Amino acid sequence: MLVFAISDKGGTGRSVTGTNIVYRHALQGNDVCYLDFDFGSPTAGAIFSVSAVARGTRDRNGLHEYLRGECPQPRRVDVWAESDREGLRTRPPGAGRLVLLPGSEGGGELSALTDELIGRCAQLFGRLEEEFDLCMVDVSAGRSFTAELVLAATVRMPAIPFRWLVFHRWTRQHIIAADGLVTGDDGLLDVGARFGHDPEVLRDRIRFVRTAVLEPDAAELVGLRDEQRAWLSACDSELRELARRHGVGRTAMLGKVPLDPVLQWREQLITDEDVLASKIANAETAAAFDELAKKIVDDSAWEGL
Amino acid sequence: MTPVHATFGEVTAERRIASVPLSHVSVELGHLYMEDFEAGPGRLREQFRRVAPWLATVRALWREQVPGGRARVSTCFLVDDYFSRFSTPAELVPMVLEAAAEQDLTIDYLARESACAQFEDPRSGRVELARLVEDRIVDDPPPGTDGSRPPVKETGWLCNGSRSPRTTPLQAMGKARPWEPPAQNAKRGHSIFVDVELWDEKGPRRTWSCPFLAAVWQLLRLGLLRSEGRVPLTPVAVDGDWPRDWDGLPALVRLNPQAAPFSAYTTLSVLSPRFLPVELAVRTILSQVAVDDEVLRQVAARSESEGIRLEEELVDRISYVFV
Amino acid sequence: MLVMGEVQTGLLQNSGEISESACRQVLGLMAGETVRVSRRPIVHALSPERLTGVDCALPTASRSRIRGVGTVVTRCAVTGGRVAQGSTYVRVVRSETDRRLPWSHYLARPGVVEVLGKAKAADLAEGFTGDPAPGCLDLGAVSGRFLDLVQASPLLDRRAPFKMARTSLRWVAETGEPSIRFTLHTERERTLRLTHPGPFTPAVVDLCEDLALHDWLLTSLLVIVERARIGATPGAQAVARLAPAVDHLLHLWMPAARVEEWLTPFWESLERRPGFTRQWRSLVDRVRDQVAMNTLALLTAEAGRR
Repeated sequence: MLVFAISDKGGTGRSVTGTNIVYRHALQGNDVCYLDFDFGSPTAGAIFSVSAVARGTRDRNGLHEYLRGECPQPRRVDVWAESDREGLRTRPPGAGRLVLLPGSEGGGELSALTDELIGRCAQLFGRLEEEFDLCMVDVSAGRSFTAELVLAATVRMPAIPFRWLVFHRWTRQHIIAADGLVTGDDGLLDVGARFGHDPEVLRDRIRFVRTAVLEPDAAELVGLRDEQRAWLSACDSELRELARRHGVGRTAMLGKVPLDPVLQWREQLITDEDVLASKIANAETAAAFDELAKKIVDDSAWEGL
Repeated sequence: MTPVHATFGEVTAERRIASVPLSHVSVELGHLYMEDFEAGPGRLREQFRRVAPWLATVRALWREQVPGGRARVSTCFLVDDYFSRFSTPAELVPMVLEAAAEQDLTIDYLARESACAQFEDPRSGRVELARLVEDRIVDDPPPGTDGSRPPVKETGWLCNGSRSPRTTPLQAMGKARPWEPPAQNAKRGHSIFVDVELWDEKGPRRTWSCPFLAAVWQLLRLGLLRSEGRVPLTPVAVDGDWPRDWDGLPALVRLNPQAAPFSAYTTLSVLSPRFLPVELAVRTILSQVAVDDEVLRQVAARSESEGIRLEEELVDRISYVFV
Repeated sequence: MLVMGEVQTGLLQNSGEISESACRQVLGLMAGETVRVSRRPIVHALSPERLTGVDCALPTASRSRIRGVGTVVTRCAVTGGRVAQGSTYVRVVRSETDRRLPWSHYLARPGVVEVLGKAKAADLAEGFTGDPAPGCLDLGAVSGRFLDLVQASPLLDRRAPFKMARTSLRWVAETGEPSIRFTLHTERERTLRLTHPGPFTPAVVDLCEDLALHDWLLTSLLVIVERARIGATPGAQAVARLAPAVDHLLHLWMPAARVEEWLTPFWESLERRPGFTRQWRSLVDRVRDQVAMNTLALLTAEAGRR
């Protein structure tokens, strides 16, 4: 299964949520890999705490070089072996493989799409899919050549299952932008159809994930005045109505991730130790990732809308 | 009890390659396009008048080489029915034969060009000769080709070296590269870079290029093609009248019952100089076609048993006279 | 001088095993060429051979630069309608000149790479089975690409019963006193050094492919057993995780099935040390015992309910 993670805008927490989902999926006993296709800013290594590739690899064997045809195979980082974090460096019993394919340090966004590029991308996806239960591809934010690239590559491999996750924050602008990215002019459906995807089928393979959500009944809001709470609640229901109108509502939503200070201040994997021992992260956050990691492969969550 | 030596065989697990009868040389007397036809029978007579002395020379040369002077020379003529359809076999074939007879030339075999792309075989159905040859192309590797990446391909094209690299960067804010010239792999000091279009596609229909079909034609004449181990195209005699439709004409017709075999160790084509660029393209293609090992061995063994030394590389078995 | 090759082996990307006729289509890598199929003792289909042109440095242990030009041969195979292989090999010979000749010269020698200049067979053999420097002849990449072609066939549904990485076997064969050395490197990489009496024949390639196939079977079964976490998870769960092995792998073990008689002693010596079949049997027994115990537990529970 290929999962493409995209967001309407930057700063939605797409990468940190994506990495946490694959981490949880690995803990659930699956072999997973994470492809850092955020070519303008390849920093997935930092989230996995692999300092050697924190901002991409320097050895001219990252995804950038691979896609340009400058190295035969992209580097693979075994997170269980190469992470600097104590809590990640041993593979927990029953966990699957957790592999990162980093970008290249100093690499930039794609500025063109060529047939060879698409071919190499399709080859990479095909091979990883043979090996891994889940391949999460971080496609960066907004309309980009990278999004075009993966849309074009997936057309070439019709039998390989894939899904899209669109990450957005729970605000007016983000809801409208997320909808626009999917259904707007030159959005995913539009461009997908141009490359040969069936828009109906593609639509069924896209779900939304809300990030940094502040629930009106959250513990953080205990100290608020009644007026503030009433205002928040009104806002929330307004947003829900807006989301429904934009097709970003509950039915199209795969899950949501609560606002967590750890994720705001330092993008990192939230381990059970962070929740139980050091207690820096909220249990709800870890539970949300765990839930998403299950739902991502649960076909009933992906039935036609 | 002594050990029993068991032999077990499975027919589908073995590979069988048919052999083909071979002349010493196959001489192409001409290649007729619509424009030649439109120019009238005069053009054809002129062509045959130019060819005749060269055919005589080739015959004499081979008689000297072959013990007992028993040179097997066959002649052939190709009609284009692929790029444009004109006239009918009933009208055209007698006209060609007549023009040849005027110069005392005998055309042994007549072929339709479309057969080099594909044809319907009564036994095995559709045979796509062009696809067959396309799959046998092995790109001439520029130095530094280590197998780690697929051969650099421009879909539908084949060249004799490396093309100019892309100058615009693939990465935002990346550096543009200055232009670099293409290079021929086998250059001597300077390059003669050749890039040949093999086919183009408009929608689902693929049109093979003239040089590509001409390359297939050379391979057929050299007896080097096999399809599922069989000889793909064998000459057929036509009884009775010439058909009124090209599709009714067998792909390869034997006109002369006493003719030496169609395929030969070597070929000679007598052509107008206007075909020079086409034949350069044909050689570019043929120097990158890998003929089946087993077929090459068969041909080598046969020629050796006759005391004839063949050139090892197949492009060297092809010769031309441009007049 | 010597022959070198690399075999990549992986699970065919299909939910079930494929039929003989599907094998023929999946392996039809060249128009007008037949896929060869043998049915005894296991269905084995072999694609036509394809050539790839190379002109590059050859790997050497001494890191001296040796240039080779020529073509390498690749073929793909599907065994039991279930395991796919891409296999590339090349005969390395000395060139009669020290410059590159016209390409047609090399095409007249399919599967041969000519070394321009001086080279020692031992240096090349060590280099190829050691740690080849980037930019050197990469037969694995060629095998991998042809294997990709097979795996991308529209006849395959890509719903493989389990995920498994490909393994790679790099081998070198030379003529001399018979000997064989099989080495496990990383999780996925193996090398084989083979010295055989008499000249090289394609039967040597068959042997290497057969070894690669069985090594992959053994590696995969080990991974599946490990994933089942026997003893650490409830019996029924462990058995469910072992099921793909029972359904898709256990019947494929047929060492030396397609190996010519004069080469079987090589297989036999590997059976003594490290003992492929011994390890396979013990794993198979473990899998079957788990299944049997789980069945017993189910029956006991059933009886208890009555």
